[in-house]
Amino acid sequence: MATNTSVVPVAVPATVVPVLSTNGDFSDLREIKKQLLLIAGLTRERGLLHSSKWSAELAFSLPALPLAELQPPPPITEEDAQDMDAYTLAKAYFDVKEYDRAAHFLHGCKSKKAYFLYMYSRYLSGEKKKDDETVDSLGPLEKGQVKNEALRELRVELSKKHQARELDGFGLYLYGVVLRKLDLVKEAIDVFVEATHVLPLHWGAWLELCNLITDKEMLKFLSLPDSWMKEFFLAHIYTELQLIEEALQKYQNLIDVGFSKSSYIVSQIAVAYHNIRDIDKALSIFNELRKQDPYRIENMDTFSNLLYVRSMKSELSYLAHNLCEIDKYRVETCCVIGNYYSLRSQHEKAALYFQRALKLNPRYLGAWTLMGHEYMEMKNTSAAIQAYRHAIEVNKRDYRAWYGLGQTYEILKMPFHCLYYYRRAHQLRPNDSRMLVALGECYEKLNQLVEAKKCYWRAYAVGDVEKMALVKLAKLHEQLTESEQAAQCYIKYIQDIYSCGEIVEHLEESTAFRYLAQYYFKCKLWDEASTCAQKCCAFNDSGKRT
Amino acid sequence: MASVHESLYFNPMMTNGVVHANVFGIKDWVTPYKIAVLVLLNEMGRTGEGAVSLMERRRLNQLLLPLLQGPDITLSKLYKLIEESCPQLANSVQIRIKLMAEGELKDMEQFFDDLSDSFSGTEPEVHKTSVVGLFLRHMILAYSKLSFSQVFKLYTALQQYFQNGEKKTVEDADMELTSGEEGERKMEKEELDVSVREEEVSCSGPLSQKQAEYFLSQQASLLKNDETKALTPASLQKELNNLLKFNPDFAEAHYLSYLNNLRVQDVFSSTHSLLHYFDRLILTGAESKSNGEEGYGRSLRYAALNLAALHCRFGHYQQAELALQEAIRIAQESNDHVCLQHCLSWLYVLGQKRSDSYVLLEHSVKKAVHFGLPYLASLGIQSLVQQRAFAGKTANKLMDALKDSDLLHWKHSLSELIDISIAQKTAIWRLYGRSTMALQQAQMLLSMNSLESVSVGVQQNNTESFAVALCHLAELHAEQGCFAAASEVLKHLKERFPPNSQHAQLWMLCDQKIQFDRAMNDGKYHLADSLVTGITALNSIEGVYRKAVVLQAQNQMSEAHRLLQKLLLHCQKLKNTEMVISVLLSVAELYWRSSSPTIALPVLLQALALSKEYRLQYLASETVLNLAFAQLILGIPEQALSLLHMAIEPILADGAILDKGRAMFLVAKCQVASAASYDPLKKAEALEAAIENLNEAKNYFAKVDCKERIRDVVYFQARLYHTLGKTQERNRCAMLFRQLQQELPSHGVPLINHL
Repeated sequence: MATNTSVVPVAVPATVVPVLSTNGDFSDLREIKKQLLLIAGLTRERGLLHSSKWSAELAFSLPALPLAELQPPPPITEEDAQDMDAYTLAKAYFDVKEYDRAAHFLHGCKSKKAYFLYMYSRYLSGEKKKDDETVDSLGPLEKGQVKNEALRELRVELSKKHQARELDGFGLYLYGVVLRKLDLVKEAIDVFVEATHVLPLHWGAWLELCNLITDKEMLKFLSLPDSWMKEFFLAHIYTELQLIEEALQKYQNLIDVGFSKSSYIVSQIAVAYHNIRDIDKALSIFNELRKQDPYRIENMDTFSNLLYVRSMKSELSYLAHNLCEIDKYRVETCCVIGNYYSLRSQHEKAALYFQRALKLNPRYLGAWTLMGHEYMEMKNTSAAIQAYRHAIEVNKRDYRAWYGLGQTYEILKMPFHCLYYYRRAHQLRPNDSRMLVALGECYEKLNQLVEAKKCYWRAYAVGDVEKMALVKLAKLHEQLTESEQAAQCYIKYIQDIYSCGEIVEHLEESTAFRYLAQYYFKCKLWDEASTCAQKCCAFNDSGKRT
Repeated sequence: MASVHESLYFNPMMTNGVVHANVFGIKDWVTPYKIAVLVLLNEMGRTGEGAVSLMERRRLNQLLLPLLQGPDITLSKLYKLIEESCPQLANSVQIRIKLMAEGELKDMEQFFDDLSDSFSGTEPEVHKTSVVGLFLRHMILAYSKLSFSQVFKLYTALQQYFQNGEKKTVEDADMELTSGEEGERKMEKEELDVSVREEEVSCSGPLSQKQAEYFLSQQASLLKNDETKALTPASLQKELNNLLKFNPDFAEAHYLSYLNNLRVQDVFSSTHSLLHYFDRLILTGAESKSNGEEGYGRSLRYAALNLAALHCRFGHYQQAELALQEAIRIAQESNDHVCLQHCLSWLYVLGQKRSDSYVLLEHSVKKAVHFGLPYLASLGIQSLVQQRAFAGKTANKLMDALKDSDLLHWKHSLSELIDISIAQKTAIWRLYGRSTMALQQAQMLLSMNSLESVSVGVQQNNTESFAVALCHLAELHAEQGCFAAASEVLKHLKERFPPNSQHAQLWMLCDQKIQFDRAMNDGKYHLADSLVTGITALNSIEGVYRKAVVLQAQNQMSEAHRLLQKLLLHCQKLKNTEMVISVLLSVAELYWRSSSPTIALPVLLQALALSKEYRLQYLASETVLNLAFAQLILGIPEQALSLLHMAIEPILADGAILDKGRAMFLVAKCQVASAASYDPLKKAEALEAAIENLNEAKNYFAKVDCKERIRDVVYFQARLYHTLGKTQERNRCAMLFRQLQQELPSHGVPLINHL
């Protein structure tokens, strides 16, 4: 509540760190590079490893600075000097994950840096204890009740500081994290926005904001600082919100201004292509990325998904072995191996690896869904349903889990149940033809042909991936003896196939030509009929009837 | 939300992708509250000095069961409960806990070590298999399963629990100190509010599986039988969310959440909860060894069936049919006759509109009897009776059938069906126009002690049958002009079935109908008109009919006629005979009001034939009244009079007050009309008799406050007195007429043209 008022763009106090003020354009890449290097150092000092990594990666993609341009480290203030010893000791403890010890020695420190580390250690200590205790809780029903006990105290202290406007960008970030952990989403968003105003360079704050924003409308009403970091943020959140076109546009812009070497951006683009099912493009980008950064493990699960879809066994096997050598106890590695086994139809092993992924990182959402798929393959429908339900409980917006549930019930021959699940999936991905085709099939099974027709037509209209919607629509029309529409659909289907120029064998092509031949024959358009019939002859299986 | 589920993954007991809900295989575990209860049990078992007296022990024993089963409560509450039964024991329990909490860990350890002593000895205080014994053993087992760190955690929890109990009073002052700043106070306040509310709602912490099961079953049975006593939808949902937060695998909670959503008519959430429940159930079904794969398929079938029921409940008949087809198909594939039986019954419910649906029902009943499903069988019989009643079967057959099914109910103690059966009898008697019998049946249901209520509590069940019976009661009273009694009944209904509850629509419709009738009697047509919208919302056919009636009363004949014709066609299609006859009567009235009684005759004869065929006595006598009136207008009062003699008996016996009045009024009119040709002496006699009848009619009208009709009667009486030369009486009547005439402006309808 109180934070609301302070969200108005604040001019960053110039005295703190002069170089931290950023502007909205990319005209001065050198300046940006300087800022990135600086923030990488600052975040490292505070133990914010991921942000530090991100900044450093991005800085690496920009050309190196000459010696003269290099920024001297920020001057040490009186307060810093006082806390220097305590800070050095505590940082060492912090780095070896002895958080309580670190916090103990930092108690009473005045400088901003030491204070942040103090609070951050306390927070991490609480989180660690929480994770440890979950295994050791009193009973099954108490499982969910294990809380990070430190959160409440942290919140009280931080909110006092916040009221007094004594928090710097990092402090605000931590305050936001604490609020989010306490499920106070609205307050957390306000605080994170404030943090981005005060310290736009800190990627962690932007990333947290990303996780809290659930739709486009929310994004519109945020007042974000006019910084070049905002572009990265927008591109990222567009990817998250499945607004792929906009995201790709943003990333292209970033590449154009000079970030072409950034592996972060390249991987994000690849993920975006993956999300819109542009498999070839995504694959080529990932291959490029692997060349640039061969020991990268992040996003490799997405890569393996692509290889899986294309059934590229040898490549997937190579990737799996490679990753396993780098680090076999990473979630991504487990996922890749799971995908590999799945492709080899060793579904039990695949499920095992997905379970391992979940044990390594309980917050890794995709594994539940993938595990569900494996159980589906093993025809263990009940376990599949369980896995999908878990996925949904974790993330209601996981359309693959909803879709998977639908498929499970389809196997169980319960089309009416499927409808509900496919509908949910469709709601989440309104422009995905697969859900629409699945919905159409269900309606067809339930003999609701009007709805089925609508679904197929819509699937075609949004751009059919599998190119089956039109054939199905045509067959429906055929069934309803609406020969005119059926012929139209077949014609469109054939045009579609020829225009995209794929050589992939389409089973239904012959059916289409045969129907068209018959149709033209009936309409007494002999020439067309004969052309179609001749085309028909090119196929093996079309001679069944004339 | 995400953080809530994070712990979900750390599940060491995941096998075959199925996370077992009950990791440790125990349904219960030790909490500080449980320790307090254990202390209480321990103290109770103490003999020697300070032992509890017999009276107190009895009270304590009564207290124990809810304590063992119920959710955890705060220490102070527990003290209070014990104090009410036995003050000295409360004191000693308090001291023991204080000692334990303020002592050391070893005190608690010692306590648990000593617990098992109560079983030992030649004459143990607690029997091993008694309720208390089982509880004790559960607790000892759960305690010994705790790991090192868990024991310490339990001890700190106990200390916390104790301190919270102690600090209860100091807390407020404490609050003031900490809340220095604005935002701070707000936050604290919010948290406090939440905790207070949760406390009110029965439980503040996580429930053990046992407690949760108890809570769910209790709420579910309340929802079914006495909705007002269950938690409000919002708070129940909150409890359930809480429960699911602590254990997402607790599938039953989803089902209760489905029921709860049904209460508030939320299609979306209820579908969601239902499907979630069955998704979860499938797992537990696969888990249980007894039915194995069979159990899994079974839950699938019932999932589809329940979905059908849900859609049916919300009136999505097409969807329901699809779901039902699915259920039938799966059930057929796996040869599940019982499930198929249920499907068949639902099929009937869905196909009710069709004329041949009773065939389904007959099959259903036969099969259900065959498979030994008494509930389904008698439900089928009841539906069949209802269906046949509308189809015009004779009452004795229906009553016989109901009697037979009643035998079944009593045999299997299906108290719910007994209630339904009686409510149905009430309805059937009313349908046949026997108000006395209906009244008697309704009273019987209300004053009967339900089988279940004996065990649950004093309050009767608040089921649909009670709502139906009470509504009938209200309408019956209103018909007899006892409006105060009717509104009293309605008030009771409102209390028992609050406006947002499931069966509230019943009394709402009933209430509006009564109000409408009163407004019409009073001649306040605008008031009646305003009620029509309300009635239409609850029952469209009834609404349209009432609209037509209002239009007719306001002399908008063509408009009314158009509406009635439409309604007639619609009702004939639906085979709603009762309404068809009512509409026909209204049409006939329209005709003779527009001075063409000859056209009204065939319509009336049609109505008469129908009502005779379907044995709707009430409507039959109403038709005869109309017929007689038509004859009177056509100038054959002798015929009319003989016709009336036929109808007057049932009307006077069972009819509504208003009808009685109308009948007497008509008799008087006919008497006067036929007396025209008599010789003077006989004429005077006839007129005297007519005046008598008019007096009676006036009394009836006065009861229902029908001033317009009273005015007509008084006018008529004045004329008769005039003819007889009784000036004094004439003047009295004339004065009355004048008073009433001033009150009510005449609508310009000729007096005679009014039945």
